[in-house]
Amino acid sequence: MTFEIPFGPQHPALEEPINFMFKIEEERVIDVKTRLGYVHRGIEKIAESRNYQQLVYLSERICGICSFAHTLCYSQTVEELLGLEVPERAKFIRTILAEMERIQNHYLWLGLTAKEMGFETLFMYAWRDRETIIEMLDMISGKRVNYGVNTIGGVRRDIAESTIERIEKSLEYLEKRAEHYTRVCTKDPSILKRTVGVGILRPREARALCAVGPTARASGIARDVRADEPYAAYGEIPFKVVTYRGCDVASRMYVRIDEIKESIRIIRYALKKMPEGPIRVKVPTRVPEGEAVSRVEAPRGENLHFLKSNGSDKPERWKIRAPTLANLLSLCRMLIGVNLADVPVVIAGIDPCIACAERVALIDAKTKRREIWDGKDLWRYANEWYRRKYGF
Amino acid sequence: MRRSELRRQLRIRARDIIVKRERRFAVNVDEKSLKRVIRRLMRMDNYTHLSTITALEVGSEIEVIYHFAFTDAMVSVKIRISKDDLLLPSIVDLIPGAALYEREIHDLFGVEFEGNPDLSPLLLPDDWPEGVYPLRKWWSAERINAKLGGKR
Repeated sequence: MTFEIPFGPQHPALEEPINFMFKIEEERVIDVKTRLGYVHRGIEKIAESRNYQQLVYLSERICGICSFAHTLCYSQTVEELLGLEVPERAKFIRTILAEMERIQNHYLWLGLTAKEMGFETLFMYAWRDRETIIEMLDMISGKRVNYGVNTIGGVRRDIAESTIERIEKSLEYLEKRAEHYTRVCTKDPSILKRTVGVGILRPREARALCAVGPTARASGIARDVRADEPYAAYGEIPFKVVTYRGCDVASRMYVRIDEIKESIRIIRYALKKMPEGPIRVKVPTRVPEGEAVSRVEAPRGENLHFLKSNGSDKPERWKIRAPTLANLLSLCRMLIGVNLADVPVVIAGIDPCIACAERVALIDAKTKRREIWDGKDLWRYANEWYRRKYGF
Repeated sequence: MRRSELRRQLRIRARDIIVKRERRFAVNVDEKSLKRVIRRLMRMDNYTHLSTITALEVGSEIEVIYHFAFTDAMVSVKIRISKDDLLLPSIVDLIPGAALYEREIHDLFGVEFEGNPDLSPLLLPDDWPEGVYPLRKWWSAERINAKLGGKR
């Protein structure tokens, strides 16, 4: 018997409004279609009536979690059009903050994924540790999210000598915790049962579907903008691109935990090598005619901004492509063949950033009977199913 | 990546290849050569993926830009089509990952992609009035609001 199940746009397994229409046979998903646009804010349209300085603030608000990646990407396009060279120190500060944001995002992701698995203790621990890095970001920028540090021509906040010691202390703690999570996630039987072999995305499929970020890297593809096209200070900092070959949710988890450790190393190196000097340059309000494309490796993957200017103080066209849109088709591919009970954890696997689903409607294909499940029901169903099957 | 290499591999006229700066290339194509050029681009060394597709308005034409990522460059394949005849061949058969980008442009600019199996609305609501393409310049926020009867 085939069921059609609309999943979202309100659902707890993903904090973003997106709709998935699942076709399921017994327990297995056999087809899935997506629908976006529930929170389409028309940012690209608004941008055409704002000046370049105002757009720094607008780009900060595209995403609450990777706000730094978006402002960085936007600033880089404007700087390219203006022909500006950003001061060296600003480049290092941008690198440090971008990596701190990555650590923050990956801890958040680890917590949410653990919650999807019904492992709430891990969720609490991961979010407690995330608090450490948020405090550091708060100390540097004055804000816990939407840091307001980037600006066209540099950064607005310096990293003072006195704060470096505190940052290093917190990095030490976070590194210890990351080691601990590696141990937990590779040993704990309930995590392994829920993630190994679940939500498979083969390397060939990932290539064809243009997957980016940790989603691609967990399928063994070393695709990372930081390495391919070094921006900010990444060209001067040695680091390795983390890849795993498991192609499943477990690999996506290991990629992110290892990236936390790699980010910590990058920050340590950057703090040591950070040159003295100014942190920003003055910029004109009018931007000469031209086009620029800029890419940034956001925590979730490649982020692309395209900007076309017409010589005035407002852009002609500003195009934003956030990583989640690039990974959506890959996600649909992963979902085909998984159990209904695994759907939340697979969706969480790509770290989607669209927005929150609150209920699921189950429709019996034959009787057209509709059952509305709220998020808690599906979540309970998923965890009950695993408890019955494996006796956790 | 070098200009000479791009020209040799793609086999197109030299004036259609523009070097914007280091690591940034633009290639102008027409409807007939679009898929051929993309197929050749995909066979080049260091090709990684299609980053996205951008559409924008240039006077009476719509310009569609395919952003291709290489490990050592970005290549923008540009094509211009008249607003009276907004039809482009879909590249979904070459790159399945382009499906959502084409749907997005179909929603916001009204470009038809011949060969894309699913061009249903992705971003706009189901009851969105026909012929309203929100990212075109003529459709200012006021005009869209008036068309929607003041509703949001």
